[in-house]
Amino acid sequence: MMSRHKQIALRISGFVVDYLLALPIGCVAALVWANTFPDSYYRFAHAIAFAVNDVGMVFFLALITKEVAEATVSGGALHPWRRAALPVAAAFGGVVVSIVCYLAFTHNVGEHMLEGGWVAAGAIDIPGSYVIARMIFGRHPAVPFLLLVSISADAIGLACVALIHPVGDAHPFIGLGLMAVALGSAAGLRRGGVKNFWLYLVGPGTLSWFALFLGGVHPALALVPIVPFFPHGRRDRGLFVEPAPQAHDTMTLFERWWRLPVEAVLFLFGLVNAGVPFHGLEIGFWAIPIAALARPIGIVVAAAGAIAAGLHLPARVGWRELLVVGCTASIGLVFALFFAAAVMPLGPLQLQMKMGALVTIAGGGLAFAAARLLRVGRFARKPTETVRFR
Amino acid sequence: MDRKCVTRILTTLFLIIPAWWGVTAQEVALPSAPNSVKFAAIGDAGTGNPEQYDIANQMTRFHAKFPFDRVIMLGDNIYGGQGESDLFKKFSKPYKALLDIGVKFYASLGNHDDPVNNRYPLWNMGGQMYYTYSTKNVRFFALDSNQVDQKELAWLENALKNAQEEWKICYFHHPLYSDGRTHGSSVDVRVSFEPLFVTYGVNVVFAGHDHIYERLTPQKGIYYFVEGAGGQLRKGDIKRSAMTAKAFDQDQSFMLVEIDGNVLTFQAISRAGTTVDSGTIQRQVR
Repeated sequence: MMSRHKQIALRISGFVVDYLLALPIGCVAALVWANTFPDSYYRFAHAIAFAVNDVGMVFFLALITKEVAEATVSGGALHPWRRAALPVAAAFGGVVVSIVCYLAFTHNVGEHMLEGGWVAAGAIDIPGSYVIARMIFGRHPAVPFLLLVSISADAIGLACVALIHPVGDAHPFIGLGLMAVALGSAAGLRRGGVKNFWLYLVGPGTLSWFALFLGGVHPALALVPIVPFFPHGRRDRGLFVEPAPQAHDTMTLFERWWRLPVEAVLFLFGLVNAGVPFHGLEIGFWAIPIAALARPIGIVVAAAGAIAAGLHLPARVGWRELLVVGCTASIGLVFALFFAAAVMPLGPLQLQMKMGALVTIAGGGLAFAAARLLRVGRFARKPTETVRFR
Repeated sequence: MDRKCVTRILTTLFLIIPAWWGVTAQEVALPSAPNSVKFAAIGDAGTGNPEQYDIANQMTRFHAKFPFDRVIMLGDNIYGGQGESDLFKKFSKPYKALLDIGVKFYASLGNHDDPVNNRYPLWNMGGQMYYTYSTKNVRFFALDSNQVDQKELAWLENALKNAQEEWKICYFHHPLYSDGRTHGSSVDVRVSFEPLFVTYGVNVVFAGHDHIYERLTPQKGIYYFVEGAGGQLRKGDIKRSAMTAKAFDQDQSFMLVEIDGNVLTFQAISRAGTTVDSGTIQRQVR
């Protein structure tokens, strides 16, 4: 018989995992710590930043990649690829408008040193925007549409980080050689019918990490090229939808094993990256929130262009829903923090960017306000569905 | 002595004493020894406003009595536009008299500077964001406090370790310690730089960012100065604390520094030319 305390602990941990609260809890803890005992906080954060940002985040990005890889099979949001064309176009529009606004703002206020951090301007927080979208829409086609927009925008950002922002002293040829071996061995495991995900992680995954690290690319992307080699089910139940209980393919087992550790990683990620002082920040920290505010415009305009070119919005997603999706996509939190840490070395500039990333959490309120104003989702006269996560 | 005579004498004294104090306060309080290292320090200067020009004129005036051969720039050297016309209006024009007599400027960059200006020849940065140079028994380290990566820290450790000079002076934009109300101490930069400063015996550190003048009590054996009022000013921004040794936030200011043997003498001077702080520092032996 389970003790009462254990039951309570399990219920709390289940709530934290279901509502993706580990990251916000980490952020709040970091803010409190950094503003009360800054010396000890920064010593701690600097000491474990590499372990969390460059190693731990490998598994968070791997879980996101797993969702994308599964979405390409039958029944998935990316199958056939034409289904993803409109959200990809919308994401592109959102990213471009965000970056333009970011650069215009930093230039206008004379914060020239921040101009190098433009990659973070287009970031969309996938877990955060998902939670808010589910709270507004429930189970509605607007949610996978938003996820595709978020994933596409962050994929553009990750590509920019990989290609434009070298890490350390780059040895591209060594990196390329190691990556070829990593991909070759992953393909070999797949062809050999290996289903144990640990073998993919220990062999090709480790090689890929070193390939990126030595090649000057952010090593948190290490499992992005490896996860697609994992054997997976023939049908996808949808983006971020709980796998069927009887599913035992490698991707599903990988997700089941890593879901809790990744929550711990996200807590540490928040703890390490969100500690910014409340005082002393320059006006430049508004650059990311302003870019995020402009993002809905980019998303709606680009979607309008794509529709004019012959693409279609998903069923039950109209202009009002699209605008609310755009507002929800203005949350940058975890990915904006990740990009800020990836492209800007430690120091006051990075702190400004991180504060900006934290402020974008207000995008959730913006999305709720827009939904209420436009009578969308739970605010519609006939709500689409009650709000329930899993 | 009648009452009228007493009144005249008192009036004369009333006029003479402040005038005498004003003249002596504008005097150089430094020994100006023939073979000493002499330099000036300005921070947050590049506004292009009349106050920056006033400071530049005072620097020129003081140069006549204290012929410093270099100026260390503590960042935010140019505000706003960063083009050629801005570099002219906010740098080469105000300091023209000093540049013409061969005074060299060695810059570090602040958050308002454009990083590409590290190639501006008159700032002698050699295209680097951090660099070192020496003269006589003093080695200077101009650092980048905007973004402190492992590469810079490794470079700094190596440069400090190899420095043979008696005095090690570091300067950069964000102060490790400051009582400025607006910004204050940059603790995140401090945890990166300070352990190296302490380990390798840095003597004095200059920074800007807070638009005030402040001298702090030694922190872990190192003397810290904030001089971020070379053009900008935040009146009443100082929030005094136990680490404030002397602070001034009522006018723009600059610093003159002389190092002769084991003694460093400093003088902080306001836009009006009055001395707001001065003193000597004996070289710490560690």
